[in-house]
Amino acid sequence: MIGQLLLQVAAEHAAEHAATTEHAAPGGHSPAEVLMHHVTDRVLYTVNVGSLHLPITKHLVFFITAAALVLLMARLALRSYQKGAVPKGLGAAVETIVLFIRDEIAEKNIGHDGRVFTPLLCSFFFFILIAALIGLMPFSATPTANISVTLGLAVVSFVAMQYAGIRNYGVIGHFKNLVPPGLPLFLLPIMIPVEILGIFTKPFALMVRLFANMLAGHMVITVLLMLIPIMASANALFGWVAIPISLGLALFIMLLELLVALIQAYIFTLLTAIFIGMFAHPAH
Amino acid sequence: MNAQALAYFAAGIGAGLTIMGAAAGIGRLAAAAMEGIARQPAAAGDIRGAMIVAAGLIEGATFFSLIVAILLVLLK
Repeated sequence: MIGQLLLQVAAEHAAEHAATTEHAAPGGHSPAEVLMHHVTDRVLYTVNVGSLHLPITKHLVFFITAAALVLLMARLALRSYQKGAVPKGLGAAVETIVLFIRDEIAEKNIGHDGRVFTPLLCSFFFFILIAALIGLMPFSATPTANISVTLGLAVVSFVAMQYAGIRNYGVIGHFKNLVPPGLPLFLLPIMIPVEILGIFTKPFALMVRLFANMLAGHMVITVLLMLIPIMASANALFGWVAIPISLGLALFIMLLELLVALIQAYIFTLLTAIFIGMFAHPAH
Repeated sequence: MNAQALAYFAAGIGAGLTIMGAAAGIGRLAAAAMEGIARQPAAAGDIRGAMIVAAGLIEGATFFSLIVAILLVLLK
């Protein structure tokens, strides 16, 4: 069924590409429209369950694909641990990353009981990385370039932060920890709203950072590739000249996207760990 | 002037100011990192890691304002 959906996406995409390359100039489809069409979500199929109309969109399909790939990778990595063998290949690679997350990110930032959060942080890291990487394939979409997906990730992060604080200090103690002790009373009316706002802005920043990084990368690639029809509409020779330049630049930006995918996955995980540590073991 | 034209104009200026701020910040960060590595080559790995994280955070702030500029262009 996923194969069918992917084929349908590819067919739609090819049909629309044929349409847009015929209107080469800002006349039929303006460049802005083509750009938005490529980076935003589209409904592929609507599942009607009773009175619910559930749209299955392109980003949802790739979201589920990314999640399935993460689970598959984990299962395959586990397989190399059978019979107490030393893991090789995929198992070793996954083990390196998981150990890195456990030692450098979880334990360093959350403290002695940081290991409990390792599965959560590993889920974040692998999901964001794999979601970004599958977005680089042709005819695919990056699920994390959808603000709803990053909103979900940020909500999970938010719940983890509050859970960490409430588990160690109770609900009242958790909110008391927001303001440093020994604070002059006249500062309290300022500190309390600022700190409460801070609880919400931290995951919000995580959300927007990841979303904007993924979206911007794809927009730049699409714009660079759209230079070809735009130049071709002015003069056919310009179109031919633009092809190697455009492709070269787009390839370079795709390489940069690989790096950005890794860095953004790492930053999301690291910041989540730092914020969990700030609530679980406040320095004051 | 047309409201839409003003919006495009503002988006352009906004994007330019954004990249000025981001490049200045990341440039200073890179300079400090280079100096740190030059003083203590043994700490190069740690400094590189911290530099990447800080660059990611600065870019995160950049993208906030970039989203504002994009919204100016896209929303009527």
